[in-house]
Amino acid sequence: MRLTEAQLAVLEAASATDDRPIDDLAAEIDEKPETVTRVAFELADEGLLTVSEAEQVSVAITDEGREYVETDLPEIRLHRAALDAGADDAPQSMGEVIGGADLEGGAVDIALSNYARKGYGTIESGEITADPDVDPADDPEALALEAIAAAAPDVTADPGETAPDRDASIEPPESIDADVLERLERRGLIERSESTVRSVTLSEDGVTALMEGIETAETVDRLTPELLTSGEWRDVEFAEYNVEADAETATGGRKHILRQTADRVKDVLVGMGFREMDGPHADSEFWINDCLFMPQDHPARTHWDQFALDLPPMESIPPGLLDRVERAHREGWGEDGDGYHSPWTEDVARAIDLRGHTTSLSMRHLSGFALGDLEPPQRFFSVEKVYRNDTLDPTHLLEFFQIEGWVMAEDLSVRDLMGTFEEFYRQFGITDVQFKPHYNPYTEPSFELFGRHPETDELIEIGNSGLFRQEVLGPLGVECDVMAWGLALERLLMLMYGFDDIRDVHGTLCDLELLRETEVVR
Amino acid sequence: MPVVDVDPDELRELTGHEKTDEEFIDDLFALGLEFEGETEDGDLQLEFAPDRLDRLSVEGIARSLRYHYGDARGVHVPDTNDADWTIEVADSVPDERPYVTGAVVRGVDLDDDALDSLIQLQEKLHATMGRKRAKGAIGIHDLAMLKGNAESDGDGNAITYRGVDPEGDTFVPLDSDAEMTPADVLENHDTGRTYADLVAEYDRYPAIYDDLGLFSFPPVINGRRTEVTTGSRELLVEMTGTDQWTIDRMLAIVCYALSARGATIEDVEIAYPDGDADGGAGADGAADVEPIAGGSDSSTASHPSAGRTLVRPDLDVTEKSVSHDRIESTIGVSFKPDEVVDLFERSGLDATYSLGEDVVYDVEVPPYRVDVLHPYDLVDDVGRAYGFNDLEPRYPDVGTVGGRHDRSRLEDAARDGLVGLGFEDLLNFHMISGPENYDRLRVDPGTDVAGGGEPVEITEPYSEDYTQLRTWALPSLLMVLERNTHRAYPQDLAEIGLAAERDETENTNVAERRTVAAVLARTDASYEDAKARLQAVCRDFDVDLATPPTDHPTFIDGRTAAIEIDGETVGVIGEVHPAVLVEHDMELPVAAFEFRLDALE
Repeated sequence: MRLTEAQLAVLEAASATDDRPIDDLAAEIDEKPETVTRVAFELADEGLLTVSEAEQVSVAITDEGREYVETDLPEIRLHRAALDAGADDAPQSMGEVIGGADLEGGAVDIALSNYARKGYGTIESGEITADPDVDPADDPEALALEAIAAAAPDVTADPGETAPDRDASIEPPESIDADVLERLERRGLIERSESTVRSVTLSEDGVTALMEGIETAETVDRLTPELLTSGEWRDVEFAEYNVEADAETATGGRKHILRQTADRVKDVLVGMGFREMDGPHADSEFWINDCLFMPQDHPARTHWDQFALDLPPMESIPPGLLDRVERAHREGWGEDGDGYHSPWTEDVARAIDLRGHTTSLSMRHLSGFALGDLEPPQRFFSVEKVYRNDTLDPTHLLEFFQIEGWVMAEDLSVRDLMGTFEEFYRQFGITDVQFKPHYNPYTEPSFELFGRHPETDELIEIGNSGLFRQEVLGPLGVECDVMAWGLALERLLMLMYGFDDIRDVHGTLCDLELLRETEVVR
Repeated sequence: MPVVDVDPDELRELTGHEKTDEEFIDDLFALGLEFEGETEDGDLQLEFAPDRLDRLSVEGIARSLRYHYGDARGVHVPDTNDADWTIEVADSVPDERPYVTGAVVRGVDLDDDALDSLIQLQEKLHATMGRKRAKGAIGIHDLAMLKGNAESDGDGNAITYRGVDPEGDTFVPLDSDAEMTPADVLENHDTGRTYADLVAEYDRYPAIYDDLGLFSFPPVINGRRTEVTTGSRELLVEMTGTDQWTIDRMLAIVCYALSARGATIEDVEIAYPDGDADGGAGADGAADVEPIAGGSDSSTASHPSAGRTLVRPDLDVTEKSVSHDRIESTIGVSFKPDEVVDLFERSGLDATYSLGEDVVYDVEVPPYRVDVLHPYDLVDDVGRAYGFNDLEPRYPDVGTVGGRHDRSRLEDAARDGLVGLGFEDLLNFHMISGPENYDRLRVDPGTDVAGGGEPVEITEPYSEDYTQLRTWALPSLLMVLERNTHRAYPQDLAEIGLAAERDETENTNVAERRTVAAVLARTDASYEDAKARLQAVCRDFDVDLATPPTDHPTFIDGRTAAIEIDGETVGVIGEVHPAVLVEHDMELPVAAFEFRLDALE
């Protein structure tokens, strides 16, 4: 048989004939009582010993009790004073006797009530008698108190100690009658407490095991390289941990949740055959607005909606393209086309802004400026930042991510557009996409996309889409159809996570704890 | 997007359909008008995209519903009577606002609702096509209060659109009892102050005169004398602006609305001044000429429409051609030509076609349809009449190969590396303020240290927190640390994002780059901790790292190094200077590094 060192020590210390309390064993083998208790139960489970439990009463003397041990109980002092005053012959004046007993305050009442109870004499009409036959030296309460005081450790040695505590508790001497103990407790001279005491007895199996001999295994705290290399690990037992306890908080690195959402969108779009676009954040209004057939006096092109930059104008814009775009604005495109009746100047077109949408990237690509001329079919996307001069509030930021995508092919219909976007949104759990006819300066037909929130079932706007107009495609030199759509990434994020304040997530007002604790995207 | 308040009782009256409010709301949604709520008076608030500006009044919405219900088909053009009134344009008219148009409307019966609707239409047209009155402004007058002076040729009535010196005349404007000069109005009248900016730069202010004198000060305010009330029976509608086409279309929309209430439209002649012999503009296209910039000698320049006489309102239909193929390929459905004609007519258009190899429709477009610029716009009308939501979506049979951009793949790989090293990935704004970007990190703009580039500044920013693009990302990370001092440490943060500085060698005059920034904020953060992580990133990308000592105002001297990757200086690493930490309310050390992402390529 093999046991741990602690188990063997307890087994050896236990007796087959006596119940030995755990505390005794612990003292003997120099282990903590809790350890011995745990080990005793382990050994009892093995059938090597039995554990019995008994209720034990212990008493401790109070400060008042200790005082009376030194000065005698008040009623005894009263009796002694009464005898001295001659109250055994004739009744004496109470006042004098009390004065002779040197009693004060509450002690007077204590003395008087117990005097009569114990039959030391009578108290009547302010006079006191004393029974000479009574010998207070035999008083059982006083004797018991003395016995308890004598047995208790001398706690008064420590001046800081004021109340009886566990260390001062003792088992009451057997000589003391239970009634007397109860009376002392009622008088507040002692305190009684009850506790469970466990004792162990060696079982027959235990005796047998000891006789057959027991090997011990060493208990180790940590698995060390030495244990592994020496092979000693085979002979050791590992100290048990409290495996249920909480450990320290660890915060590992993680990708920002908006990036995670962007990545998921990118995965979906790459899977649908889209290529990623890249391009400048600061760009000329030409690429941002003019190519998109946004009239230069369009309300969204004012300083209040877009961020203009203090920079010299863009010098290099492909001249043919610039002329064609201007012509589309002024005269329209094609035989029956009409232009805008709005002012158009190159100065405005060449001014540099922060892009208000990533459609500027689509324009750079469709024109052939970014990657050279493109032959249909093509699919392109970007998930990039755009800038709008808006009011900051829980759902609007000055900077946000726009998902932008377009498909170029020979013949595209509204049904193709619907099918593409239904497929995209299905990937995010949004089904039942509805298409509301809409107006954009750069697409026709145009549709606002609505979908049902997967949890609230609300109908919410989830994007804007359409087929690029001839006035957009013609000047760019694109002769086939292009359908496009856009959507704010933050909107998708807020739908997926149920955030109600985007500022907690994006930007320098962010709360690290929120970022650390948000559930990861699945 | 515009919102129009519509009285549902008026809708019932003008459409002749006794529908409930809810039924109207559903029908209107199908037309693209979204119900936003009700006003206190029980009017429906309807929002729609700013293309169909003919729907800015209850009359226009009722017209659209009548087409939708099939009560009306094809193009309707109101009849007009011959002109009795002329608007003569004087040479003195401000060069900045040379154009005018107008119509006389007789037999109007304006109850309170009709008057409210007319005022609303006027306001909404100002807000949209009129570009807040800058491009076009509408004045409506009680014709009975006007006294036309004898026209130049001695026949009929005439009023004059001319320029007036700011202090040169007086009139009593609406909402006032006092005679005021135009300049007084701009200074002391509520409406005048609101629109003062529109004419502030003009040498002479626009004014309209009849025989009795000045009665309108466009685009600011009308005179009280000609105010329209429910008692008015005959109206003069005039519009002035910077573009003839725009005000003519606005006028058409107003005339259609009044005609829908039973009024009779009467032409008005617009007589532009005689031009110089060689300065006369051609018959067409003159309307597109840019206004001539104002100047001291501008009064001698000829009017862009000099010599022209126009008869207005212009209610002519325009014609555009669109092919059957285009309609089918865009909507994705096969049609018979007669079906298409039917759908056009249900949209308030007229179409004819000739059978041949290719079926082409000649489509007539009424003058209130300001949204039809290209023939393909007509396809949208067919689709809406057919019902876009009845279309069956299909996934396009187009094969393409998807893929990520190299730049974003590199960014992702570097980000994964940093996250693997225990950094929390952050996402901060690219816009920042000068003090945050430079001062609080002790960096001066235009210095040759990391983060010291010239700022790309926002023109007239209206938040002092966002006045420029950040030149580096370390300031953003320090701001996050500053705002999270109550959160658990260590705080190891990293960001890969945009940084930009002014660079006139670039096409956009901005050098944009992705920057990799990281901070380690912990009680024992040291240079070595930062360098260990920087080394790990460089090892991942198999680039050579060297860190020669350097000076940088943000970092502690002697604990700062330049980051050299493959022999090129690309960033800085060090222990952040205590002055910078205290400035950011930090009570523990921070080690940091920042370098250009493209160094890892």
